[in-house]
Amino acid sequence: MEKKTITPVDVIKKIIIALVVIVDAYPIFWLFTCAFKKSSEFVTKPSFALPEGLYLKNFSEAWTRGNMGLYFRNSLIYTALALVFIVILSMTIGFAVTQMEWKMKNFFADFFLLGLMVPVATALLPLFQIYNNTGLTNTRLCLVLTYIAFGLSLSIFLVTGYMRSLPREILEASVIDGCGIYSMMWHIVFPLMKNAAVTVLVLQFFYKWNDLLFSMTFISDSKLKTIQTGLLYFENEFGTKDWGAIFASIAISVFPMLIIYMILNKTVIEGMTSGAVKG
Amino acid sequence: MKHVLGNKKAIALFVVPGLILYVGLVFVPVIWSFVYSLYSGTPGLSWSFSGLKNYSKLLIDSKFHESLMVTIRYILTTMLGMVVLGLALAMMYRFWLVKFKNLIRTITFFPVILPTVAVGQLFRKIYEIQPNYGLLNSILDAIGLHDLVQPWIGQASTALGCLSVMDIWVSVGFYAVIFYGGLIDIPDDIIEAAKVDGCSSWQMFKNIIFPLLRPITITCLVFAFAGTVKVFESAIALTNGGPGSATTTLSMYMYNVAFEYRNYGYGSAIAIVIFLICIIGTRIIRFFDVKEA
Amino acid sequence: MKKKAMALVMAAATAISLMAGSLSVSAATDPDTSAEKKIKVLSIWAEDSADGKILTGMLDNYTKDVNPNFSYEYEYVSASDLSTKISTLVASNDLPDLFAYSAGVPLRELIQAGKVVNVSEELKAMGDEDKVMDSAKSIMTSLSDTDDLYDLPFGMNIEGFWYNKSVFEDAGVEVPTTWDELLQVCDTLKEKGIQPIATGGSDKWPTTRIVNAYAYRTMGADAVKKACEGETKFTDDGFVAAAQMVADMADKGYFGEGATTVDNTTAEGMLLNGQCAMLYDGSWFTSSITDEETNPSGEDNIGFMGVPVVDESVSEASELPANCGNILCLSQDKYDGAMAGFLQYFVENVGNYAMGDYQSVRGYTYDVDTKDISSVTQTVIDAIADAKTSTAWWEAYMNDETKATAQDNIQSVLNGDMDGAAYMDSIEEAYTISN
Repeated sequence: MEKKTITPVDVIKKIIIALVVIVDAYPIFWLFTCAFKKSSEFVTKPSFALPEGLYLKNFSEAWTRGNMGLYFRNSLIYTALALVFIVILSMTIGFAVTQMEWKMKNFFADFFLLGLMVPVATALLPLFQIYNNTGLTNTRLCLVLTYIAFGLSLSIFLVTGYMRSLPREILEASVIDGCGIYSMMWHIVFPLMKNAAVTVLVLQFFYKWNDLLFSMTFISDSKLKTIQTGLLYFENEFGTKDWGAIFASIAISVFPMLIIYMILNKTVIEGMTSGAVKG
Repeated sequence: MKHVLGNKKAIALFVVPGLILYVGLVFVPVIWSFVYSLYSGTPGLSWSFSGLKNYSKLLIDSKFHESLMVTIRYILTTMLGMVVLGLALAMMYRFWLVKFKNLIRTITFFPVILPTVAVGQLFRKIYEIQPNYGLLNSILDAIGLHDLVQPWIGQASTALGCLSVMDIWVSVGFYAVIFYGGLIDIPDDIIEAAKVDGCSSWQMFKNIIFPLLRPITITCLVFAFAGTVKVFESAIALTNGGPGSATTTLSMYMYNVAFEYRNYGYGSAIAIVIFLICIIGTRIIRFFDVKEA
Repeated sequence: MKKKAMALVMAAATAISLMAGSLSVSAATDPDTSAEKKIKVLSIWAEDSADGKILTGMLDNYTKDVNPNFSYEYEYVSASDLSTKISTLVASNDLPDLFAYSAGVPLRELIQAGKVVNVSEELKAMGDEDKVMDSAKSIMTSLSDTDDLYDLPFGMNIEGFWYNKSVFEDAGVEVPTTWDELLQVCDTLKEKGIQPIATGGSDKWPTTRIVNAYAYRTMGADAVKKACEGETKFTDDGFVAAAQMVADMADKGYFGEGATTVDNTTAEGMLLNGQCAMLYDGSWFTSSITDEETNPSGEDNIGFMGVPVVDESVSEASELPANCGNILCLSQDKYDGAMAGFLQYFVENVGNYAMGDYQSVRGYTYDVDTKDISSVTQTVIDAIADAKTSTAWWEAYMNDETKATAQDNIQSVLNGDMDGAAYMDSIEEAYTISN
């Protein structure tokens, strides 16, 4: 190994790393400072100034006017349900189109990827008509189904990447040990795909949690609305916005994401560096 | 082996539930909107079959041509930016980071998880000029480059570039993670051996790392392409298509035509064009993969 | 042969009965104040905003005071999502019983498709025709291009320039009454390092309103309407001059740097905090003026100066742009006696309720006292009362493609990428293509 001397190159490297970290972390900090600002501060002070004081009314506004308590719970239900199915379905489909042996598997692998190309707004009106005709608008079911369907393409895309690197020998060994397909899936594939599952989970969580277009279109019952629709309460007919309350709402909605991400990200990293995939 | 992995019942059980949802809720609506694209007007109000008229209108609609050009310029800059910088960031994770690896990787992923509304507002403040200088203009002003202070997102010449920078910033962490997954699969001994052989960093990247990462690079390009063609929410949040139509992308134009002008048939025709661009573009990127692999 | 003749007669009979049927639909429905009904309300006013409280207050009071079997489900969407929401609902033939919508071309399409109730007929049958203010009625029928009302007003706004009194005092300038004076004031302010006018160029409409202001002052209140009906052209000299006026003002820096990046909320904040001297806005702005948090300097510091005149013989000082904001419509398919009962209650009581409890004019007549009212609200009420005639906003009569062009390109005018003539050319072109 090399000796530990600090060269100018190392210093430059450190500076670059520090810059990258600042550029990526500062906005979160900025977001939380904005949540404490009074509305007049947004105009009179440069946007990067710290708040004059801790103006907590933004949070109480966000919580009560934006119905954050209820919406938070709704979002959690939709997201959790959709995620469970997205993970299971993308695993089984990903396994079927990469490792299993059947004629149409390449066709279906490509077919599922087509979904990546669909502009979401295209599907809006037809979907609304489907749900309206089946009486599914204003139900939790229609939103969960939509989330699953639109989450599949990306998830399958990610999972197949991991699946392809699944060592064939392990599967063969399990067959020799007498595993059937279902026990192989449950005891061998799922555990090995832990990283894939977490990656899918984390990414899809952000997409579903941040969805506005679908929930706004399919759900009109205010008891069933999601956290992002709460943001709409701070903009009036003529476009005047209460930025302090908007940022407080965003902060409330981002906070759990940060926590979840921090916890799960550790699992991803551990899995990637020490997992069985690398062998 | 074959009897286990070729189990027809299991394949059906694995694929069919997802397939039904996917076909019913993603694919049927696409075909549905293709049918819509043969009609003109608004469903429920004035709705009449017009054949391929919407498609011939595409040829003469100058707003459509403008938004197509905007989208192409945006795709080229943003897609490359995302992938190149994502790779660079992944290299940094792999070769430069000694301490706080996990923490730094976590932080650089932050932008991916932020809601678009928040990101759009943040960058509006960064590029701000009235009533107070934003971060960018403040810095320029402070280091004596007052001539460069300008309304970054308020003028046609810089607005699209500013949008690209924002979207690259948002996505780069995502691509970095994908690349990093590939980089840690490259065994340390190969890299050590190359170092012993006196490879420079650049040679090592060109001759060893990049060839090994080619499949991942193609995947990232495909993914970035599909994402950038559909760019919609971020453009709305930052510039709302302005100034003029300098940042009006195809998706945004489609949305406006369908829901603001209430010309749903024509909007569907534009959506079909976006879909086709996606498929063709992806084929082209994949073509490089097959040819050079 | 006989059979064929028979079939023809049958067909004719069916046609006649169908026509009769369609005629009977348009006859007024008798209000039923005891029927059980749950209506859907689609609104762009949050339940706890002043607007939302007036609407839900009327609904609640109707259940409490008149029909206990009447209930409602209130859905709130943001104004920017309204058009998407209505499009999906129309396509599925499922318009809510009572919904907010945009006056002008969007409403006209619903009227032509027979989707909304003819409000005039219903009110006539109820004997409540006089409950909607005449000024509101003329604005709305002019926008929908019909003799009858097909919508209900839910606001009554006037527009014009607002100014910051202490900024004016400090700079030693007087409130301008003519457009020339306005330009002189701008010049003086600019020299003293004060931004004369803030405009929300990022939201686009605040700036087209200024073009409109100069256009109606020089060409008369119906200038844009005439152009939209094809009587005149958008490329006429008067329009070009109006657009060029805004282009020149932008060029002289009256709107500050990068006006295309400023949204209206920021522009309003700039006026309230003395970072600019003037702002063009509607009377909805009064709620921010009277709110201590958005306006720390107090409501007395902000004045309303209307729109400076150019030629009193074309357009006199009291003539101001006015509108009813977003309007309320009733779905024809869902309309029945129970809904008619609420309609009658609504038009008969909302004027007093809004004025009495919320000090606001909603386009309905009222006969309660207007004491204890803030001075700025009083100014607005007086201006509404003074205005014998009014004009609409710039895009009011334009179809959606023309409107989009007019709004998008105003940013190019602010940037100096387009002059007045090029701007009006682009509008004329969009108008021609879309017709």
